[in-house]
Amino acid sequence: MRALRTAATGMAAQQLNVEVISNNIANMNTVGFKRQRAEFQDLLYQNVQRMGAQSSSAGTVVPTGIQIGVGVRAGSVYRITEQGTPMHSGNRYDLAIDGRGYFQVLLPSGETGYTRAGNFSVNGEGQLVTEDGYPVQPEISIPQEARDVIISPTGQVQVLLDGDPTPQIVGELQLASFFNEAGLEAIGDNLLLETAASGPAVVAAPGEPGLGTLLQGYTESSNVDAVAEITALIVAQRAYEMNSKVITTADEMLQAANQVKS
Amino acid sequence: MENAALIALSRQMTLRRELDIVANNIANADTSGFKVEGLIVEEETVSHARNFGVYGAPSFVLDQGVGRDFSPGAIRQTGRPLDVALEGEGVFFRIGDPNGGPERYTRDGGFTSDGEGRLVTRDGRPVLDSGGAEIVLDPTQGEPTIAQDGTISQGGEAVGQLGVVRFDVLSVLSKDGDGLYRNTSNETPADATDAQVRQGMLEGSNVDTLVEITNLIQIQRAYESTARLIENLNDLSRRSVERLGRVG
Repeated sequence: MRALRTAATGMAAQQLNVEVISNNIANMNTVGFKRQRAEFQDLLYQNVQRMGAQSSSAGTVVPTGIQIGVGVRAGSVYRITEQGTPMHSGNRYDLAIDGRGYFQVLLPSGETGYTRAGNFSVNGEGQLVTEDGYPVQPEISIPQEARDVIISPTGQVQVLLDGDPTPQIVGELQLASFFNEAGLEAIGDNLLLETAASGPAVVAAPGEPGLGTLLQGYTESSNVDAVAEITALIVAQRAYEMNSKVITTADEMLQAANQVKS
Repeated sequence: MENAALIALSRQMTLRRELDIVANNIANADTSGFKVEGLIVEEETVSHARNFGVYGAPSFVLDQGVGRDFSPGAIRQTGRPLDVALEGEGVFFRIGDPNGGPERYTRDGGFTSDGEGRLVTRDGRPVLDSGGAEIVLDPTQGEPTIAQDGTISQGGEAVGQLGVVRFDVLSVLSKDGDGLYRNTSNETPADATDAQVRQGMLEGSNVDTLVEITNLIQIQRAYESTARLIENLNDLSRRSVERLGRVG
C-alpha cells in the first residue's frame, strides 16, 4: 500500500517542522536571530492510469488519468530576514542595523563571517570585537584615553579625547549585503558564511542604497513571534497525528483483508 | 470465482487507490499551493460477463480519473518580500526549465533570488516574466516591491513583471511534483491580466483535513464491509460444497 509510505513522508515532514519551530522558540531572546520556516513540496506523482485511454466499451476516453502522489518532502528551510525590534541597551558598543546588511567579522580561520548581532565590546588592545572576541571588520581601535565613543548612523566611529573638544574619527564601519540573503550558511554563534547561493558580498558604508543605518546603544532583538510559533506548533502536531491516523487506517484495512480467509 | 467476489474485489482496488490519494492529501496539508485531489469512480457495466440473466448485467467499480479541486487555499502572511500569493482560480505563475524542457506552472509563490540575482523557485528554476524571459533583481537597490499586477520594482524603477497565465480547461494540467504542473495540451494559456498578486504572502494548501479524516473513516469502513462480503461468499460456497457432498 502506497498510503503507508505516503503517510510516513508526512510524519517526517511534520517532525522537521517541529524541529525548526523549537529552534525558533529556543532562540527567542538571541540577539540578531532570524526566525526560520520549513516549506514543503509535493513529491513526485505516479501515473497509474492512462490519460486519453479508452475508458469503456462505448469508446469514451479518460480525460485526466490517474496520477497518485507519493507524499511530501521538505522544500527548504529558509530564514525570514524581517527586521527585529531594536532594544535599548545603553552599552555604547552595541549596534543595531536598521534595514538590510550584515556586520563583517574576521573568524579565527581567516574567513569572513557575517552577523546581525551587534552586541560588540572592546578587547584588551582596544579593538572592537564580537561576544566571542572575533575582531569586527574593518578593524576599529578605540584609544585607551577616549572619554566617549560616538558611532554615527553611517558608520563613522568618533572618539572624544581628554582636553580636545572636537571628536576624532578613528575608523569607519562597513556593512555587507547579498543578492540572496536566504542562501547564507548559518554556522552558529549568530554567524553566517557566504555561499555560492548567496552570491558575493557587496560591501559599502551604512546608509548607502540598499543598506540600513546603524543605531548606537541598541541591539536588534530576534524576530521570533512567540504566538505565531506556538500556533505553528499546534498545527504541526495535529498534522502529525492525522498522518499517523492514515497509517492506522491502512494497517486496519490490511488486517481486514487478511481476515477474509480465516 | 463468482461475479460477486470479482465485483467486491473491484471495489477494494478502488478503495485502496482512494486511500493512497487521501494519504497524499493529508501529507501535503501544509504544502504551499497544493490542490486537493480525489478519485473519480464510476459504475462500469459489463454485458459480456458470465451471468444467468436474472438480475441483469453485473456492474463493476472503475476508477476513471483523478479530480483536482483548484479552489484557492488560505492566504497567510510570511513577512518575506519575495513570497507572492496569487488570487483567482485557474491562474498560475510561469516557471522555466533550466534543462530546456517545457514551461511549468505553479501556484506556490515562495520565490527567492539566486547568487546572480535571478528570481527563482525554491528548486532554483527561473521564474519567468510576462514575455517568457527570466527576471533579474539588483541587490544594491534594496527590497523589491511587487504590485498587484505583478510588476516588480526596485528603487522606484520597474525591473520586470511576473508572468501569470490562465488555464480555461484545468484538466489539461498534469502534476510534476514540487508544486509544478505541466501542460499536456497543445494550447498555450493566455495571459491573466485580471489576476491579483499579493506580496509577502503565501497560498496554503486547500486541503480540508476534517474532510480528509472523514474520507479516511469512510474508506476504511467500506473496505471492511467489502471484505465481510467476500468472507460471506467464501462461507456460502464452502457450506454448499459440504451440503452437496453429504447428499451424494
